[in-house]
Amino acid sequence: MTAGDPDSLGEAEPVSGNASPRRPPRPRHHWVVRVTHWVNVVALGLMITTGLRIFNAYPGFARRGETFCCYPFEGKPVPDWLTFGGWLAGGRNWHFAAMWLLFANGLVYLAFVYLHGEWRDLAPRRGDARDIWEMVKFYLFVRRDHPHQGKHNALQKIAYFTMPILGALAVVTGLAIWKPVQFAPLTAALGGYVWARYWHFLIMVGLVVLSVVHVVMVFAVDPYSLRSMITGGYDPAKSPEVRNARPFFWRRAVAASPQADGGAQ
Amino acid sequence: MMDRRRFLSVGAGSVVTATLGACNSFGPEGAKSLLRFAERKNEQLERWLFRNGSRNRVAVGSRLTGRAFPRYFISKEMPVWNAAERGVWRLEVGGAVRKPLSLTLDDLLRLRSVTQRVDHFCVEGWTARAEWTGVRVSELARLAGATSNANYVDFLSFDSDYHESWDIESALHPQTIVAYGMDARMLGPGHGAPARVHSPVKLGYKSTKYLTRVLFLPTRTGGYWSDRGYEWYAGV
Repeated sequence: MTAGDPDSLGEAEPVSGNASPRRPPRPRHHWVVRVTHWVNVVALGLMITTGLRIFNAYPGFARRGETFCCYPFEGKPVPDWLTFGGWLAGGRNWHFAAMWLLFANGLVYLAFVYLHGEWRDLAPRRGDARDIWEMVKFYLFVRRDHPHQGKHNALQKIAYFTMPILGALAVVTGLAIWKPVQFAPLTAALGGYVWARYWHFLIMVGLVVLSVVHVVMVFAVDPYSLRSMITGGYDPAKSPEVRNARPFFWRRAVAASPQADGGAQ
Repeated sequence: MMDRRRFLSVGAGSVVTATLGACNSFGPEGAKSLLRFAERKNEQLERWLFRNGSRNRVAVGSRLTGRAFPRYFISKEMPVWNAAERGVWRLEVGGAVRKPLSLTLDDLLRLRSVTQRVDHFCVEGWTARAEWTGVRVSELARLAGATSNANYVDFLSFDSDYHESWDIESALHPQTIVAYGMDARMLGPGHGAPARVHSPVKLGYKSTKYLTRVLFLPTRTGGYWSDRGYEWYAGV
């Protein structure tokens, strides 16, 4: 901040929290990110529930007459209420239609975060492992104060970075079991059809775990961020760092900071 | 503000879709045309991806499924060709061909045969392995002189009204055969005796068992499961 910068006039004013008050009032999430986020909720929800419908037609992985080493619930279908599509053909028809929604939406999102620079908030950097450890210590009450963070904390970063990677792997393993003869080399690279199907299933489990933890953490740590994913608006004075928020342990933000509307002179 | 409006309309649309979808597990009625559209587009893509040179390869020493290979038919009882009632079984090869064939099992056995150890991909998600012996459909097409307007092939059976029609490219794939032997024995009645279609390039339900007719056709004619909601192309 140079002395001639008119924005630096605000510097003298008392500011609640340590959020930068002079940022222009731009939405926390670009509308492309917000739209792709909610489209992804629908697409991923359809892919998982119809995928489970398909899975229930043969809820195991072993080739007929053989055993499979690595799935403990061989032969046990998942509860019907977790499935969508009604029957095998319905599940398949939905799955092979919704996959295009997931795929196109993923491409739009990845292209956008790459071209628009948002990837910088998510890409792993040196020191992330230490930051993750500090966040874990903070959440476990070993550390008193919330570690300093950028847009996301270190745990969020690794989760949001992993999500599209799992999505891409779901597409690749999905191709391998959709076309095990036309894409025979791909299927073989994944260990054959039986294993490719298992990888596809495990990646789905990973996506479900990440999504469930994500939703729980939104409500347990930063419910204010829900608004930022809908309208884009976000009050930095209510950030988890300012509130020193741990899952389920944080105080309500008292009032919006005076500078929340963008550091008027 | 357009951004927000657009976002809200998309979001609202998604919520409505999800809510309607939750009404029953089959999904909203209105989605059916969309699903059919997706199936048609997928079929175009799949036919474009299809390669005559693609192969399903199974390691030479790999284990065969043998007795655990599921048996399946749609009739109430296992279909067995009754020669006393219907005369000797014959495989008719006809339709858009210059020289229709009517082959007894002996005739079929005399044709050039292949034996292949391949995967069987069931729509349900399981696979099984067997060694099939039979005559390539492409060989039948050659012998019968399939004409250039034969864009589809219908495989019909004596298992009630079971049949499934194929695109010509998949039917002429070198691994698509009319099989009469399985695991070095003659095909058993549980697996479609006296002859059935078998191919790793299609899902199992496309491989008609208890085969009676191979019809080369200029137009597609659906199929038993294809007419009941399963995708017609069903390529693997």
